Amino acid sequence: MFINREEYLLQPADRCALEAALRIKDAARSQEMPDIEVVALPRTPLPDDDVLRQALCTGADRAVYLTGAGLQDADDAVMARVLAAAVGRLGGADLVLAGATTLDSGQGQLGLRLAEALGSPQIVGAWTVETADGCVQAVLKDGTGYVTVEADLPAVVTMLPGTLKLRYPDGVRLIDVYRAPDAVEHWDVSDLVDEEMLRSLLKERGRDFPPERERGVRVSGTSEEMAQALADALRQRVRA
Amino acid sequence: MDASYLDLLMAQEEGASEAEGAGIEGGGGGIWVVADVVGGVVAPVTMEALGAARTLADSLGAYVYGVLLGEEVTDLAPTLYQAGADDVRVADHRALARFALAPYLEVLFDLIEAEQPEVVIFGATSQGHELAARLAQRTGGGLVEHVVAATLDEATRTVQCAFPVYGGEFFQVVACPEARPQFFTIEPGAFSTPFLDPYRRGEPTMLDVEPVASPVRVVGPAEGFEPPSVPLSQAPVIVAAGRQAVDIDLVKQLAVALGGQVAGDRGARDAGWIGPEQIVDVRGVKVSPDVYVAVGIRGDTFHNAAIEGARYIVAIHPDPDAPIFQVADLCVEADPRDVLPAVVELLTDS
Repeated sequence: MFINREEYLLQPADRCALEAALRIKDAARSQEMPDIEVVALPRTPLPDDDVLRQALCTGADRAVYLTGAGLQDADDAVMARVLAAAVGRLGGADLVLAGATTLDSGQGQLGLRLAEALGSPQIVGAWTVETADGCVQAVLKDGTGYVTVEADLPAVVTMLPGTLKLRYPDGVRLIDVYRAPDAVEHWDVSDLVDEEMLRSLLKERGRDFPPERERGVRVSGTSEEMAQALADALRQRVRA
Repeated sequence: MDASYLDLLMAQEEGASEAEGAGIEGGGGGIWVVADVVGGVVAPVTMEALGAARTLADSLGAYVYGVLLGEEVTDLAPTLYQAGADDVRVADHRALARFALAPYLEVLFDLIEAEQPEVVIFGATSQGHELAARLAQRTGGGLVEHVVAATLDEATRTVQCAFPVYGGEFFQVVACPEARPQFFTIEPGAFSTPFLDPYRRGEPTMLDVEPVASPVRVVGPAEGFEPPSVPLSQAPVIVAAGRQAVDIDLVKQLAVALGGQVAGDRGARDAGWIGPEQIVDVRGVKVSPDVYVAVGIRGDTFHNAAIEGARYIVAIHPDPDAPIFQVADLCVEADPRDVLPAVVELLTDS
C-alpha cells in the first residue's frame, strides 16, 4: 500500500515511499514469498489520474483515483478519513507508506492522521524500510546517529524525501498503462464516507509575502583581486 | 486622599481572581503549550511557544497552561511559570524518560479530554510533529504545522496561522474556525523568546501516569549509515558545489580552509560529487549556516529557498544573470577555477 501525491507530479517523499513499496514487493518475490500487491492512492484531491498512472508505470499493481463533489477542498483531516475508508474497502493494508512531508507546504500530518484513523503504529521519517516475519523495520535518524526500529504489521511508515531513488518506468508497461482507459480505478468518495465527514477543518484566509531581500555587493576586477576580496570577506565572516 | 475605595476595589478583584483561579484548577479552555525537554532543559522553541501563547491568551482573556512530560522534569516547572504559564501540568514518570508516541499520547489525550483546551501549541520538532497530528485526528481538531506567525480573530476566538510555502516564497494563512482544539506547531526561531519573570511562580499540578508500552521498538544502531559529525542543517559554515564548480577538489579544499562542510545542489548530486544527504534544496536539507559559499551553483527556486536562513551568502558563478546572485550577499562573477585556488591559498596562509 502506498499513498502518493499530488496535482502535477509525484512528490519527492512520495517517490521514496513508492520505491520502498516496490522494493518490499521485489524482496518478497525473490524469497518466493506470497506476492505483495502495491496499491497507489492519492494524498490530495487530484485534477486527473495522470500521477496515478505514473505510479502504475513504475510498478504499482493497482491505482485508485478518488472523485466526488465534496473532495475538492479536502484538507489532511478529511483525506485521512477518506483514505482510511479506502483502505477498509481494499480489505485492509499490511503496510501503508507515505511521504513524510510535502514539497510545497511542508505539512506532514497526513500519514500520522491516517495512522490514527487506522489505529496503527507509526514510524516517522524513515530512510529505509523492509518487512520480515510480520514486522516492519525502518532506519531513522536519532540525534547524530541512525537507529533501526521495528513495529508489528499493520503499520504506517512515512519516508523522508531523497532517501531512495524511484526506478524508471518499464517501457512496455508505460505504453500499456497509458493506452488502457481503465488502468486506474475510479472510486466515488460518497461510497466511502458520509458527506458530513468531508467538511474541512482548515479554511484559507489569504497569503502573505516576505520582504524582498536586499541585493548583495558585486565584486569586480581581475581574478587575483576578486580572490583577495573573497578571501578577506570569508576570513572576516568565519572568524566573526 | 481617602483611598479606602481602592482597597475595596482590590478586594473585589482578588475575590474575582480567586474564583477564576479555581477555574484553573479545574481546567476548562485555555491555551496550552506542550514542552520539549532536550538534555534536561526546556527547549528554546517551547519558550518561544509560551511567549506566543501569552500574547494570544492576553487578547483572549484566557489562561496559559504549560505541560511537561518526561522523567525528573518537575524541577523545570518554574521555568514555564517564569516564561508566562499561569499553571503547569507535570507528568513525571520513568515510562516517559525517552519520547515514545504511545505513552505520551495517552497522557495528553486524557488531559485534553478532561480539560478541553482551546488551543494547543507544540514546537515544530519531531516530538511535536508526531503528537500534534495524532492528537488532532483523535480529538477532531485542526492542525497547522510550521507556523511562523499567529494572529487572533477575537470575534470567533480563532487563531490565524501563517506557514511558509515553497520554502518561504510566500506564507499561507489558514484558520480553524469550527473545530476545537486548534493545534499548531511553531517553527523554531519564528517567535521571540519571552522575558523570564522571576516573580511569576506557582505550584504545578502532578498527573497520574499509567505506563503504556510503545508498539515501536528500538532494535539498535543502524549499520551502514555513517552520520556526519555535524548535521548539515546545523553546520556553521557550508561550501556547496554546483555544476559550474567543475572541480570538486577545489570546493573540498575551500571547505577545509574554512572549517566547513561540503554540500551541493541537485547538479552536484547528479555529477556524483555528493551524497543524497548533502543536497541543499527544499526537497533535501534546508540550511541556516553563518556562512554559505555557493560555488558554481546557478540557484534555482528550490535551492535558493533552502538557504534563506543563511546569514551570509557568497556566490561564485560565471553567469552574471544566475539567480543565485539575487539572494547572495557577496557576488563574484567568475569561473570558480580562476579564483578558488588563490582564495584557498590566501586562507591557508593566514
